[in-house]
Amino acid sequence: MDDWKHGTRRAFLRDSFCGLGSLALATMSASAGGGETPGRQSVPHPLAAKVPPNAAARAKSVIFLFMAGGPSHLETFDPKPLLNKLHGKPRPASFGDARYQFVAKDARLLGSQRTFARCGQSGIEVSDLFPRTSAWVDELAVIRSCHGDKVVHSAAQYELHTGRTSPGFPSMGSWAVYGLGAESDELPAYVVMPDPDGALEAGQPMYANGFLPAVYQPTMFLPGATPVRNLSAPPSVGLAQRKETIRLIRDLNAVHPAAGDDEFAARMNAYELAFKMQMRAPAVFDLSSESSSTLELYGIGAEPTDDYGRRCLLSRRLVEQGVRFSVVVSGGGPGNKQWDAHKDIEENHLRMAAQVDQPIAGLLQDLKQRGLLESTLVIWGGEFGRSPEAQGGVGRDHHNLGFTMWMAGGGVQGGQVIGATDEIGLRAIERPCHFRDIHATILHLLGFDQDELTYPHLGRDERLTEIQGEVIEPLL
Amino acid sequence: MLCVTAVTRHAVLADDEEYFAEERGHWSLLPRGRTDLPVPTRPVDERWIRSFVDAHVVAELRRAGLQPAAEAERRVLIRRLTFQVTGMPPTPREVDDFVNDPAPDAYERLVDRLLASPHYGEKWGQHWLDVVRYAESEGFEYDRHRPGAWRFRDYVIRSLNDDKPYDRFVEEQLAGDELRPDDREALVAAGFHRLGPVRRNAGNAVVAFSRNEVLTERTNAIGTAFLGLTVGCARCHDHMFDPIRQADYYRLQAFLAAGFEVNLEIADDERKAAWARQQQAFDEEVEQIKAQLKEAQGRREERLMEQLKALQLRAPRPLPTISTVRNDDEQRTPVYLLERGDPDRRGQRLGMRVLGVLLPEGTACLPESTANPRSQLAQWITSRDHPLTARVIVNRLWQYHFGTGLVATANDFGVNGEEPSHPELLDELANRLVDAGWQLKPIHRLILLSSTYRQASRAAARVAATKIDPDNRLLWQYPSRRLTAEEVRDAMLAVAGELNLEAGGPSVMVPVDQELIDLLYKPSQWAVTADRTEHQRRSVYLVAKRNLRLPLLEVFDQPDLQTSCARRESTTHAAQSLELLNGQLSNRLAEAFAHRLRTLAGPEPGRIVDRAFLLAAGRPPTPRERAISCRFVETEPLREFALAMFNLNAFLYIE
Repeated sequence: MDDWKHGTRRAFLRDSFCGLGSLALATMSASAGGGETPGRQSVPHPLAAKVPPNAAARAKSVIFLFMAGGPSHLETFDPKPLLNKLHGKPRPASFGDARYQFVAKDARLLGSQRTFARCGQSGIEVSDLFPRTSAWVDELAVIRSCHGDKVVHSAAQYELHTGRTSPGFPSMGSWAVYGLGAESDELPAYVVMPDPDGALEAGQPMYANGFLPAVYQPTMFLPGATPVRNLSAPPSVGLAQRKETIRLIRDLNAVHPAAGDDEFAARMNAYELAFKMQMRAPAVFDLSSESSSTLELYGIGAEPTDDYGRRCLLSRRLVEQGVRFSVVVSGGGPGNKQWDAHKDIEENHLRMAAQVDQPIAGLLQDLKQRGLLESTLVIWGGEFGRSPEAQGGVGRDHHNLGFTMWMAGGGVQGGQVIGATDEIGLRAIERPCHFRDIHATILHLLGFDQDELTYPHLGRDERLTEIQGEVIEPLL
Repeated sequence: MLCVTAVTRHAVLADDEEYFAEERGHWSLLPRGRTDLPVPTRPVDERWIRSFVDAHVVAELRRAGLQPAAEAERRVLIRRLTFQVTGMPPTPREVDDFVNDPAPDAYERLVDRLLASPHYGEKWGQHWLDVVRYAESEGFEYDRHRPGAWRFRDYVIRSLNDDKPYDRFVEEQLAGDELRPDDREALVAAGFHRLGPVRRNAGNAVVAFSRNEVLTERTNAIGTAFLGLTVGCARCHDHMFDPIRQADYYRLQAFLAAGFEVNLEIADDERKAAWARQQQAFDEEVEQIKAQLKEAQGRREERLMEQLKALQLRAPRPLPTISTVRNDDEQRTPVYLLERGDPDRRGQRLGMRVLGVLLPEGTACLPESTANPRSQLAQWITSRDHPLTARVIVNRLWQYHFGTGLVATANDFGVNGEEPSHPELLDELANRLVDAGWQLKPIHRLILLSSTYRQASRAAARVAATKIDPDNRLLWQYPSRRLTAEEVRDAMLAVAGELNLEAGGPSVMVPVDQELIDLLYKPSQWAVTADRTEHQRRSVYLVAKRNLRLPLLEVFDQPDLQTSCARRESTTHAAQSLELLNGQLSNRLAEAFAHRLRTLAGPEPGRIVDRAFLLAAGRPPTPRERAISCRFVETEPLREFALAMFNLNAFLYIE
């Protein structure tokens, strides 16, 4: 016993610390426990990289291009000639009813001023808001029949991210990391890059781990030079100094009489990982090592694409490092700084699309060129679309009954349209895809059956999809 | 829980009003038993047994071929007890006194002293706040702060410190406004119904939808907090596992149908008038500056902005308010069985009734016109013979003392929950609670005085015991645990000598990284408390805001403040290490701790190290720890040594 405690174990700790020896996450507890683990079960580390149970797994990482506020399907990926014809008229009763947040009952339909062109070999129609992204349409599976349950931002954002319309449930990013673990031990596994323009209605709880353990929480990348909190010691403390302190922590924790326990070993390891992260993550955040042509590809260094371009490029770098789930948010702060075009759909969408079109096209091209697109699922969309009716003349209200999202890479069959809304874009009528179907599909592409990825909470085995979702088969 | 399959299962389940014998026979729905004490099989056990608690525990241990661990050292016991009961570390003086107390009842007196401490309510209040999904803001996009929300927190702390009988505690939260409509304390307690997240929205709000969300949230909270049943699962369909019909869910909801939120201003007219004057003067001043700002530029603009900021700190404090509920019989929401929980798909209209499985077959509903409906519900929940209420609360006490409850699923005593590890012990504890007038402190005392509780956390025979009972469900040693999020923060403050022990009052907002505040939809909601000494108060007095939790608490598994949390996770990950190594608070407190050590111990490294361990770990260093530490202190900044102390297992864990 003594020999085990002071011999092997100490040696392990000494060797594996402070970058002196590398240690894969997967082996964290197992090696540390040395077999006998009195008083506690030997469990693999929660972030150990796991093999998805499903052989169908195609994607290893997800990048969610979150268009916050609700981009219009009518101005982007779902052309509606009839809507233009009916411009200024009330909605014909034959299309049925809809509940809006603001639009009044007697509102008139609003035609779109965008022009649509058939793009790529597939000939999918995309509007002139996305001149660059449309060049990659053959990689996209455009789902025109998305729908959700709520027509207000916060509840709809919760549903988009967590499958529930109230806060308190784990987001898809947390579920993904819970299922797959982390591939990188130098970076957080699940990252959210908010728009520096400000916050969103549903706030941080929409990205959060809910009742899943804190180890699955998202890391919010903050604007500025140090996106991750606590990644460096206070300025008055040098790195060499801090290394000595960590060494002291290690030495003292190793002589603690209870040091034979798995949890203590895991805690020791958390210090090693923290230090590694501190040492190496800043290099990943530093885009200066990228070639000028790459920067240009994403529109970095030019306005209005610089900011979203930087975050898209960072998301590619994170994927390269094994980060599982990144959310790159477009839109934040007051509604009109999101895709929330209540006042003027033209002004808002021209401005918002101009910020993201080149970065998104750049990201797709870059992933493709580097052979990463096959294993990276890229998702585009917001919490809902926008109303066929006008709000206050030239704006559009929120609209949850039919709107567009697209997916690319990660096992998705590109160059196809899935589902359809009716002739004025009011309601998904052909192969409707609820958020739960989107979620079931994302899990499927990551190698999980929605029923198998569960966690007990308040007496239920909870999962991402509350009601059984349906995998969108044509997409695969 | 698939709603779809539930519909098909419906056919094989009993009719709405009929229950199978096995449904009625689920252990937690049966009356509590009274069993004879198990007779110890060995003389050594006879000596070990201090009460029925130990008799049951040792009987189960022996049945499994196990034995209890030896008693822990006194230093270990006092640290364990002090954290468990008050959420804070013992002072070196307290440790010394106890270790050197020759009296035979030294341990008993320690337990009694701690249970009488006002900090008991602060620690155990947090447990209850977890269970009732307490937060002070409403969540969703507005995340508005409920006026006077902190009063509920103080009510809980006060009630626990006064050892208010649990049945009354429950009644007040369910129906305080009905029972004592003129009693502020009771009105604050009824604020229980207001604690959950509330979605408010502008524009065409669908009133019926919003009301349904509120009633749903409130009904579910009652199920999990008081009944320990996942009643909420029966909202869309008959419960998949438990004998709770969908109609039961809505009948339970009907008790709440007349209750509406109300914010009661409790100031007298004179004070209200004075406040209105102050507020008006303040508003005018703000308007003036804003008007000047429109035309100002450069330096002048900056000065005005600063002026505005300073002014806003002097905003008149809101008038004292109680957020609570009141019945409005005329506005009462008609309650229907909702197909799949959808307010658009109304079925049969339903009256109020408690769970059918606990009633004789065919029991009628109470009429809608029943006066004080929530009092009726409270009366049922707190009846002496209720099979669940007492079991659920004593199980919670047990869980917080031993990490795992006798029923491991503390919010689920249903079919899908775990069976009790010691059913007779659970029933006996519940019997004692009810027999002795529902007071909790005597139950704590029983548990804390037991030999079971006094065991060491490292049993000599642990290798063999792990093979038989790897999860230590039978308690062959005391389960050590990491400090909770609040304990980590409070203990750092205490050890650094900076903890402000002031109790009660409005919640404190501490400084947080601006980038995190900017993630709020309304960043102005985070108004840092001006008085900086307030920033050092115990964590239970910091604002519980749904859309912005303190990162330090968040990484150490504070619950997410959205739904009831029966048992916290205890995870270990790199973000915790980064927080403790590089976080602002730990670094600032390390500075303070270093200063304190210099003052207390002088320049000599050995004395500094001894003192540091006594403060942070409740014990002197081992010779090896002392040697390593002295070497460090001789050459490195003391601040770094102090920071290391916060990162030691000896600090972060309770043995």
